[in-house]
Amino acid sequence: MEEINLVSEALKFMVLGMIVVFIFLAVLVQLMKLQAKLIGKYFPEKKPMVKPTVQATDEKAQTAAIIAAITEFNKNKS
Amino acid sequence: MKVKKLFLMLMLAFATLSITVQASGNTQPEATTEVAEEKVYESRSIGQMLVSFYDTTGLKAIVQPQDGITNGQGQEMSIFAQSFGRIMMFIIIGVLFYLAIAKNFEPLLLLPIAFGGLLANIPIANMTSDHGMLGIIYNMGIANEFFPLLIFMGVGAMTDFGPLLSRPKTALLGGAAQFGIFGSLVGAAALSQYTGMVDFSLKQCSAISIIGGADGPTSIFIASALAPELLGAIAVAAYSYMALVPVIQPPIMRALTTKEERQIVMKSTRKVNRLEKLLFPLVVIAMTILVLPDATPLIGAFAFGNFAKESGVVDRLSNEMQNSLINIVTIFLGLGVGSTLASDKFLVVETLGIMIIGLLAFAAGTAAGVLMAKIMNKYSDEPINPLIGAAGVSAVPMAARVVSKVGSEEKPGNILLMHAMGPNVAGVIGSAVAAGVLLSIFK
Repeated sequence: MEEINLVSEALKFMVLGMIVVFIFLAVLVQLMKLQAKLIGKYFPEKKPMVKPTVQATDEKAQTAAIIAAITEFNKNKS
Repeated sequence: MKVKKLFLMLMLAFATLSITVQASGNTQPEATTEVAEEKVYESRSIGQMLVSFYDTTGLKAIVQPQDGITNGQGQEMSIFAQSFGRIMMFIIIGVLFYLAIAKNFEPLLLLPIAFGGLLANIPIANMTSDHGMLGIIYNMGIANEFFPLLIFMGVGAMTDFGPLLSRPKTALLGGAAQFGIFGSLVGAAALSQYTGMVDFSLKQCSAISIIGGADGPTSIFIASALAPELLGAIAVAAYSYMALVPVIQPPIMRALTTKEERQIVMKSTRKVNRLEKLLFPLVVIAMTILVLPDATPLIGAFAFGNFAKESGVVDRLSNEMQNSLINIVTIFLGLGVGSTLASDKFLVVETLGIMIIGLLAFAAGTAAGVLMAKIMNKYSDEPINPLIGAAGVSAVPMAARVVSKVGSEEKPGNILLMHAMGPNVAGVIGSAVAAGVLLSIFK
């Protein structure tokens, strides 16, 4: 056991480790791109889903503004 | 006069108390006949009582250390570890308290770790034994690598993979930064092979080098799996250096980039579909199962937390993981790790080696990330600011914040935070993969 050169073993670990880490992440990158493409193609309805909610908040804001204006107007009247 | 009388009375009371405690402590079944004799109370003069009380104090244990005193694990402690060692540990713990409280360096972990260390160094009480509080905590979740996984679950539930999904290739930066782990593995091996200052085995080298992953839970996980005897030093080094990210990283980032490169403005990221975020943890799990089952404890817990968050239907569970659960586990993890800061374990020359290698690992990881980002910037069609490579060491979200700060110093208004979060979360996955590789080697 003592004759093992620690440094050369560690270098082997490094080569193996960096290769595995890079391959893992490279494949992950490709999978992320692929799933983005597939989802964008087949389930794109999610995006329009976002817009109505934005509109809804706009509407709410508008309603709030109108209500505020009316109350203010009523206050001034009385 | 009155005060003196009161003092004497108090001392008397304590003395009797300590004798009763001693006596009752001796009624254990394994008590020898010699001990059984002691059970009989003999009349003693007040002087004898005071002397025997003094024998039970921590003051005596520290000032007059004796041979043959054992620590919580039943190993004999050296005279140095009993006396000066303890005092040195109290000073080190004071420094850790100062860093946590005055400097606000990772206080959530440094404070419990330091307090655990304080309790572990109390003489006579033996809190690190199997029946002491710290020993119980240590055996409950650190010796069996359980607590780091729970922390990972909470981190998963806190992590938003949106920035990474919107620019997938920045994941490679999180890979480059893992050079910090393997580079310092070679460094640790060289240190023990050629200098003779320390004598690390390959397992110990691997456990130390994982500090370069800049990920506390992963470091503790690997250390308790590969080299539990070094756990305390490794955890303290990992968390101290993570806290020092804003000090360590910027000089390296500036040294390796030009002013023009630091001023690069990156395009805004696209909006990510919710379905993408939901599927991502499953994709990662699927890959881990196929390539590296050894990393599944870490990545599995992480992916579960993230999946629970992104599913949107179990907010109660995901909130629990992000808040109460991670807080409770942090307390236990800190105290448990602190229990390994006993003077006889921590004050060894190996600790110094671990601190040096840990710093080297951090610097190497940062440098590799920045260099990789420079290369990507050269060959990419869209501009990439090399600074974001530094966020490839995990240390979420501190490293990304540091990148953003350096970036906006160079060019006010250039917010790199979201761009840096991509490599940052990829770094978490990268260091978990690296950890899995190291575990698989020693199987």
